[in-house]
Amino acid sequence: MSTAASYLSAVKAADARARARGETPVATPALSFSSSVTTSSEDTILDDGEVVSSDALSYPTIPPTSEQVFSTVHTEFGHCANAEYRYTSQHPAGTPVKPHIEQDPPYYVLFTTYVSYIILILFGHVRDFTRKYFNPGEFKHLIPHDGYAPITSDFDSFYTRRLKARIDDCFSYPVTGVAGRTIVLNERKSKDYNRTFYSTGRKVRALNISSYNYLGFAQARGGCADAVEESIRRYGVSACGTRLEGGSLDLHAQAEALVARFIGQEDALICSMGFATNSTIIPALVGKGCLVVSDELNHASIRFGVRLSGANVRMFKHNDMNALEDLLKEAISQGQPKTHRPWKKILIIVEGLFSMEGTMTNLPVLLELKKKYKFYLFIDEAHSVGALGPHGRGVADYFGVDPRSIDILMGTFTKSFGAAGGYISGSKAVVDRIRVRSHSHAYAEAMTPPVLTQIIASMASIMGVAPALPTHGSTGTITKGRIVEQESPEPYPGRAPASILPSWMDLPPAMREGTEGRDRLRRLAFNSRYLSRALEKLGFIVYGHDDSPIVPLLIFNPGKMALFHRLMLQSNTPIVIVVVAYPATPLVTSRVRFCVSAAHTKADIDVVLKACDWIGDVLDLKHAPGERWSLEKITSNAVELVRMESQKHA
Amino acid sequence: MSSAMASTSANLEPLFSFLSTSYATLEQTFNRIPGSAVIARYVKSSHQNDPGRTLLELFLAAFAIWTLLQSRTRADKDDRHFIKFTEKEIDELVNEWTPEPLAEPLSPEEQKELESVPVIVGAQGPRPKLNTGKTVLNFTGTNFTGLAGNEGIKEKAIETLRKYGLGSCGPPGFYGTVDVHVQLEHDIADFLGTEDAILYAQGYSTISSVIPAFAKRGDIIVADRGVNFAIQKGIQISRSTVRWFDHNDLKSLEDVLQGIAKERKKKKAPLTKMFIVTEGIFEKDGVMTDLPKLIELKYKYKYRLILDESISFGSVGRTGRGLTELFNVPASQVDMLVGSVANGLASCGGFCAGSKYVVYHQRINSSAFVFSASMPPLLSVSASEGVNILRNTPSILSTLQENIRTVRGILDKLDCITIPSHPASAMIHIYIRTPTPTLQIPTGSGKPSNPTSIHPRDPPTFDIETEERLLQDVVDEALAQGVLITRARRLRGQEMVEARPSIRLAVSAAFSKKECEKAANVVKAALVKVLGKRR
Ligand SMILES: Cc1ncc(COP(=O)(O)O)c(C=O)c1O
Repeated sequence: MSTAASYLSAVKAADARARARGETPVATPALSFSSSVTTSSEDTILDDGEVVSSDALSYPTIPPTSEQVFSTVHTEFGHCANAEYRYTSQHPAGTPVKPHIEQDPPYYVLFTTYVSYIILILFGHVRDFTRKYFNPGEFKHLIPHDGYAPITSDFDSFYTRRLKARIDDCFSYPVTGVAGRTIVLNERKSKDYNRTFYSTGRKVRALNISSYNYLGFAQARGGCADAVEESIRRYGVSACGTRLEGGSLDLHAQAEALVARFIGQEDALICSMGFATNSTIIPALVGKGCLVVSDELNHASIRFGVRLSGANVRMFKHNDMNALEDLLKEAISQGQPKTHRPWKKILIIVEGLFSMEGTMTNLPVLLELKKKYKFYLFIDEAHSVGALGPHGRGVADYFGVDPRSIDILMGTFTKSFGAAGGYISGSKAVVDRIRVRSHSHAYAEAMTPPVLTQIIASMASIMGVAPALPTHGSTGTITKGRIVEQESPEPYPGRAPASILPSWMDLPPAMREGTEGRDRLRRLAFNSRYLSRALEKLGFIVYGHDDSPIVPLLIFNPGKMALFHRLMLQSNTPIVIVVVAYPATPLVTSRVRFCVSAAHTKADIDVVLKACDWIGDVLDLKHAPGERWSLEKITSNAVELVRMESQKHA
Repeated sequence: MSSAMASTSANLEPLFSFLSTSYATLEQTFNRIPGSAVIARYVKSSHQNDPGRTLLELFLAAFAIWTLLQSRTRADKDDRHFIKFTEKEIDELVNEWTPEPLAEPLSPEEQKELESVPVIVGAQGPRPKLNTGKTVLNFTGTNFTGLAGNEGIKEKAIETLRKYGLGSCGPPGFYGTVDVHVQLEHDIADFLGTEDAILYAQGYSTISSVIPAFAKRGDIIVADRGVNFAIQKGIQISRSTVRWFDHNDLKSLEDVLQGIAKERKKKKAPLTKMFIVTEGIFEKDGVMTDLPKLIELKYKYKYRLILDESISFGSVGRTGRGLTELFNVPASQVDMLVGSVANGLASCGGFCAGSKYVVYHQRINSSAFVFSASMPPLLSVSASEGVNILRNTPSILSTLQENIRTVRGILDKLDCITIPSHPASAMIHIYIRTPTPTLQIPTGSGKPSNPTSIHPRDPPTFDIETEERLLQDVVDEALAQGVLITRARRLRGQEMVEARPSIRLAVSAAFSKKECEKAANVVKAALVKVLGKRR
């Protein structure tokens, strides 16, 4: 591993060489240019003096050569120029989608897991009991007092108090700075077993394999941040008001037009919160007399929206297309409950990429079924948009199907685009109907200008812009709340027409040409496959699709969750991870959920693998059948591993 | 004493396997006893606070887990109504079924409605430019404090951008709790004088998630008949028992509370959580709640108060702290004080302030908080800066109130309209005065409304379509004179009670007195012109 000093001198030398040749360094595909970040390399290794940070996080292991000039900050977006470490996220055409098989752990693991829970519950009750007698003050808010019922009874809160509280140090860790390739933790400790935390005042930089930063757009430097800065100067930070009552800006019209292009649908609409996109828009689509068929693992926001809609709901087993077909047959033939009247409409809601499982929806089969059963299809692409497909357009792109064959494509900007909020796209009739019926359009605040700008800039850089940005003043005009495009657009998945971008937005060439965006997509695809396959080769039970940037590693025993978290955090290069357990997952399948990013370098993934390898041995987590590779074999054969034909789920 | 267990449980693996055998046998024997659950429950209730209860509960829990795992994929066919079909019949039924279209295309009226939405080109503020090229005085934006476009806030926002990027890329539980969020929560709690506060990413979604986080099935909610849409949706999600009291009528509230108390006494109903849900200044018409009286009632009848201050926070009180400041009531007496960061501090998001426990509870149980990414750090810092500015510049609120008085002074005299809004409300609603005085809710007819229905006994009658059309004419006329106002847009057919059509003026501290006079006179002239023609 290089030291900081040797790295810096190498960088300086490279810079000097480039300057001596009198040329402005050109962008290699790996790089992103930004007007505000000079190409001098010191700027790209930003580090606060006060942050405790290991060299591996601050400096790339391999010093750059003279051709390579990185303009991203390594701690935000890792430097990786090796064109081998790229892959395309795409379903092999003509092959059926293999069903996902969840591996079961050995019996003793399941058994000890149950027993662990029993012991935890037992201890919890013993503690509750003793506390009630010896320290009743602590229980005051959990039992009726002064004629008020408690907000939560001691029974309702048992799980949180006695089980979750034990591992509360794994959740809600306070952080600071960019949630990019690395993240800075405001270190905290607890003296009273997680009841309260206090800050140690130390700031620790850790490798971040937890944020939903799939394409690495969480950056404080670079073209997007520059555009956002410009937008704040021009627009301020607020849109003040609801979309229908004076909160509509030109930026909204531009962003909506761009989203529609990006997704490949006729029209799109934007909502200021991802959660609310589901919870306030589903009721605009279905109501009484309609049936919603929902995957059992759908996100809370979808359930919220469905419940508000008043429609009937049926759930089907996660991603099980046979179960779905049976249910459809039954639902259509039986009609509405009791009356047996035919359903007004049936809406199937699934997620493109499931956030806890890493599984992908079986789109080809869904579309087959759609032809036969005439339901409407709603796909929540919160995690898949930007993260899947050769052009980053989501599941439709990944499977190579026409996005317009799906009625509603919903997604959020909080993930791949490093922004906030969500969108809904579909035919013009549907989207217009939502515009007049959705709760958020009439009553919720409109999305703010900086967020809109981040969306436009990041999305345009994935698409590329055609043609070169025109000079000021010739952007599309907005008539009747919509942007009128001047040139005929490129067919899906084409580039973004310049006329729908704000005229003041001056994207750097690598973003305008789409090279940077493409590189991000390809880096993410490589990293996702590499991590998922490597963990499998190490012997872990891994759920989800190979190409999914969400990689769940199964832990089972509740006690091991916290240990895994703590050990990762304490390893040489601190790593922050997300552990999830009941009730977010079934009781036994507690897991670590990695979220891979384009910002990670292969070396970063190696660091994660190394830590996992060791911890997996210590905690006895390697239970998967199949061929095992050593860590060395995996790291030195990464490219082969990634390019291998899929063996999983066979 | 046993908290260290979590960290060592993995090392206790051998112990686990030893314990496991004995536990498993015990558990299985218990399961085999028929009706074991009933027995357990019986013992539990008769031996409250008995050690034996605790032990049995454990087994119950194990039993529950066991059965849950057994029945994961049971089809829920309603046997009584289930008709058996052959495969062929099913196929026919499937073929025959034709669904309604997912969405009806817009009617020409709806199309027009949508197209009448103004679009601002460039910065939002008191004097924005529209897409028609016209620069207007903007009385639509919820920029009460005039913080939108504040240069100091912009600088802070850019500084934050350069340190934090834009998105937080994660929900608060998973590395989305950024120090600036904690800071804003602290700032708001400190500003209001509550123990703690919690931030949501969208103002609208705040209250509709706060209510169901506390109120569950079997709990009681007593709500105003005029609550806004977000509250209606929150109540719907909560599945609690709802009772309604007449809009902004605390006498009616007391009657309802008394009625409930009586009924509960008669039924010997067990103690449940009881909430009063209402707004500070109502989004629908701008009337103001008498907070001291409300607090008195809540204490008297032992209710918790969920107060939506989305409009009043940042627009009333000496420094904009809202109703609690205006009435000099400690904010800590409001159990859940919900406000909008988007409206009050010209940023985005919402908050709920309350006791430490109330906030902590939401961090685990409120779905719009738990399952959504936290707000972008730079917007959070902008809001913190907004709090600072409000705190140190009382002149903002006095200017705002002065501006409201100016506008009201001109409009109040007009006899073709009525203004239901409170004189201090920065949101001014204008109703058309109907020739026959049906608008005034007839009182004295004696009988109170039925508290189980949201509809009042004698609902005011009005012709939505005609009034909306007239009001839109007023809006268009005002726009032609350079003043941007808007009708209050409503989801007709979705609200529980239809709100009366109104024009909604949002006054801002950013206007000069002259501008307020000009705008009010333009609106007045437009009203006279359009409504005068009607007669
Ligand atoms: C499937 C799905 N839908 C919607 C959301 C909500 O998005 P946001 O975080 O932008 O509110 C999420 C976020 O976790 C999600 O996973």
